[in-house]
Amino acid sequence: MIRALIADDEWAARAKLDLWLKEQGDIEVVAQSEDGLRAAEAIVQYAPDVAFLDIQMPGLTGLEVAAQLEQDEAPLLVFVTAFDAHAVRAFELNAVDYILKPFDKDRLLVTLARVRGRTRDRTARASAVAIARAQTQSSERLLVPHAGQLQLIETSIIEWIEADDNYLHVHTPQRSYLLRRTLGDLLSQLGERHFVRIHKSAAVNVAAIRALAPLFKGDHEVQLRSGKTLRLSRRYKEELFARIQR
Amino acid sequence: MAVTQNEVGVTELPTERGVLRYPDRLLYTLWALFCLILIGVAVRDHRGLVLWKPLVIESSAMAFVTVLLVLQRTVGRRHYDRWLGEPWKWFGHHLKWLPLCILSFVVVVFGIRIGVFALLGARYIHDPWLSLLPYEGGKLTVYIGLWLGVIFAFDSFSRWHAQQRHLLELQRALAESRLAALSSQLRPHFFFNTLNTISALMHLDVGRADRLLASLGELLRASLQPDGQDLVPLAEELRLLELYAQIMMARFADRVTIERHIDETALNARVPAMLMQPLLENAFKHAVERGREKVRMEIAARREGSQLVLAIRNTGSTLPPNLREGVGLRNCRERLQVLYGTDAAVHLREDAAGVEASVTLPSWEPSS
Repeated sequence: MIRALIADDEWAARAKLDLWLKEQGDIEVVAQSEDGLRAAEAIVQYAPDVAFLDIQMPGLTGLEVAAQLEQDEAPLLVFVTAFDAHAVRAFELNAVDYILKPFDKDRLLVTLARVRGRTRDRTARASAVAIARAQTQSSERLLVPHAGQLQLIETSIIEWIEADDNYLHVHTPQRSYLLRRTLGDLLSQLGERHFVRIHKSAAVNVAAIRALAPLFKGDHEVQLRSGKTLRLSRRYKEELFARIQR
Repeated sequence: MAVTQNEVGVTELPTERGVLRYPDRLLYTLWALFCLILIGVAVRDHRGLVLWKPLVIESSAMAFVTVLLVLQRTVGRRHYDRWLGEPWKWFGHHLKWLPLCILSFVVVVFGIRIGVFALLGARYIHDPWLSLLPYEGGKLTVYIGLWLGVIFAFDSFSRWHAQQRHLLELQRALAESRLAALSSQLRPHFFFNTLNTISALMHLDVGRADRLLASLGELLRASLQPDGQDLVPLAEELRLLELYAQIMMARFADRVTIERHIDETALNARVPAMLMQPLLENAFKHAVERGREKVRMEIAARREGSQLVLAIRNTGSTLPPNLREGVGLRNCRERLQVLYGTDAAVHLREDAAGVEASVTLPSWEPSS
């Protein structure tokens, strides 16, 4: 069975997709979401194989939802939109498909044939997420779980990020958030302009650094404005020094 | 006056020939009166002498200057009219012909006088040629200078007048096309989403799909009315607004409720058609389509003194501190500006309960 998620803020649009997907026999609709944040939550919770995302939704647009997904874990993405194709044309080669509203069943069947052919294709979904990140300001806002829900925080308030097995601790002056993502994937979303690695399992917001203090044997210590000190590994030293002098 | 467009779409000025015909006639009449007066004065001053002598002397000179005037009105204007905006050049180009005029004046006019006098058995007595030339030249220069001044005043006035009329025409055409553009403003996006809703409802509830299709058709017909100047009774405006509201309710019924507070005595007031639709559209766009909360809306029409106030209120949205007006609100404002000048206004305000967009229309005349 192919597990599908439908996200659209109009009930009739959800009902139509739901009806036609269930008719297929090999597709199970595991969740329906009526806004972007709930769609993002449902993708984390249900890990569907394919997500049908309306572009224009309250909270987060379909593109913003895609931009916040972890590249390797993202479902196949099908954008469904009444917008002119301009917004989604960039996905032509990399998302599974985009469907312009209104659409008929034949059009949906074409999409479903592609979905069936690519359920094991990992590269296409990673590049679809990358394009969505480039098209939205995904480096400025990050979706984090808090009190059982997802919420958006400004990435500028993040001080540093710590990797811990399969999880990330995202530290802000107020609190820390726990994300199930890899450090490499998060850094690619946040962009290398503001965040830089200081050792294998930690990265720091360049703007949060107060000073770099030398230790013995060429090691350094990163002192943050909040008073926190972190160890700078020799391997990432050059890069950080170059960044700070820039 | 027809404003024509050539192939590349540049608007051309209408030909001046038509516009300036009237002042031309006036100018010739003035000139004829001037000639009559001069001849009359000459005849009076020669009282007691033979009448034909002053007549021949004056009219030969007048005939010559008349030829000069005709030349200016035809050939001269064709070449020098373009300098009307720069008086010094205009006068310069005319006055460069002055020496030739003086010379030919003396030759032609005195030739005629001597000839006619001789034919009638008399002798035309005049000053010696050398002293005559500066005297006649000076006189002619004064006359020509005077009349060039008059001609310049005439021509520049009629050009200014033509440009003024042309400008008014342009402004009116612009206002009309602006109104036409402003009044048909349903977003394509709205149509695609509604069509998708209808397509979905066809599988879920055929009756509702049918009703929605009829509403969409009627709204489309209303929005395709070409004339943005159309005033309709408030009752009709509210009916169109209701069509839009019904369509949006079909799409978002689970997330919005709409209340209506309409002053029944104002239903005959005449208002611009489809004026409130963009305001209601904004309420949906900012509160329903962006927010996750359930939204309450209110459509209101009330009289305040002699004014009519139409308002859309909604919960669930706020005005950003540095608000950039969207197309809908700007169109609404510009349309009122074209129709009512400064007598109508659009207000956007926010209180604890939400956002209100309101339109104040000046006097509300009942439809006859």
